[in-house]
Amino acid sequence: MKTFLALILAFALGLGGGLAYAWAINPVSYTDTSPASLRDDFRADYLTLIAVAYDASGDLPRARARLAQFAYADPAPILTALAQQRLGQGWPESQARALARLAADLTAGSGAPASPAPTTAVAGTPTPARTATPVPSPAPTRTPTSTPGAPFRLLTQEPVCDPDLGQPLLQVEVVDAAGQPVAGSEVRVVWDTGQDHFFTGLKPDLGIGYGDFRLTPGVVYSVQLVDSDQPVTGLTAGECVADDSTRYPGSWLLRFQQPAR
Amino acid sequence: MHRHEVRALKAIVRLLTALFVGAAVGVIYGWVVQPVRYIDTAPGSLRADYRTDYVLMVAQAYAAEQDLQTAQVRLASLGPQAPSDLVTAALTYAVDHGFTRADLETLNQLAVALRSAAPAAEIQAP
Repeated sequence: MKTFLALILAFALGLGGGLAYAWAINPVSYTDTSPASLRDDFRADYLTLIAVAYDASGDLPRARARLAQFAYADPAPILTALAQQRLGQGWPESQARALARLAADLTAGSGAPASPAPTTAVAGTPTPARTATPVPSPAPTRTPTSTPGAPFRLLTQEPVCDPDLGQPLLQVEVVDAAGQPVAGSEVRVVWDTGQDHFFTGLKPDLGIGYGDFRLTPGVVYSVQLVDSDQPVTGLTAGECVADDSTRYPGSWLLRFQQPAR
Repeated sequence: MHRHEVRALKAIVRLLTALFVGAAVGVIYGWVVQPVRYIDTAPGSLRADYRTDYVLMVAQAYAAEQDLQTAQVRLASLGPQAPSDLVTAALTYAVDHGFTRADLETLNQLAVALRSAAPAAEIQAP
């Protein structure tokens, strides 16, 4: 019995020593990590950098491959949410634009799906270094963006009565000269006591050229697409009547198009 | 050797064996079954290929924005090394691993800009 206890004690001592060695003295190294393990704020920075690099290079397959390291089932909504978050936190608008554009282009579905991210099979035994596959640089497919020097024109301005919207909205759709939706267009909204802005492409499920802004009933708004020299003034949530005769505030739909040069 | 000495020796061997087995189990558990988890890491701990790709992204952004200070801030996330050293290391890795000519030129453009820039005040990692 005494021997048995001594053995158990020796085993426990060994176990404790082993764990102390593995967890404290020589733990699995923090080197050779992958982007997926980054802390949330670093991850947000990393995702933004992917979008900014994509914005500069237009290389969607490479952006997809970079995003694949995070193993998101669908990165577009995550990028969209990050764009809105960064915009709200006062980060440069160019970052929000880049994130929105990448989200929109991913949703548009151009380019081949990326191969899965390299995985680390067992902690402590990192896989061999990922070989940097020389990218053959296919012709980049990008979401059309506004061309400087060609101001957008207001195409249509329609009141919208849609009870399904749930709240009065200023809806904006922006298309280029070819009729293709344009993501990342900035829209300024000004009213008596304040101003705000939003971008198209932050709700890619509604269209990459679409953006909206919640209207407060009774407030008169002026709206201008930054890439347009044509402000739209005097917009206010009108009154709509539902099928059951209840009244609710209506919305506006503005469509802008870049004229052909 | 006396009988009680043999018995004591056997006991010591058994104890050492138990100690060794316990230690082995502990190490296996600590390294394989329940290792230190990779969470909340910083870009500075990224593997060399990911670090290189990070620097490349910074260089691509710099190529479009021409904002050296922003590039330096982004590079500061990778650690306390001088930004130009980080880019040089990335260039070396890129050359060794067959990155495209365009990538090498993009990296080189940032390296040249960093080298030609006046020494900047220390930049805090974001």
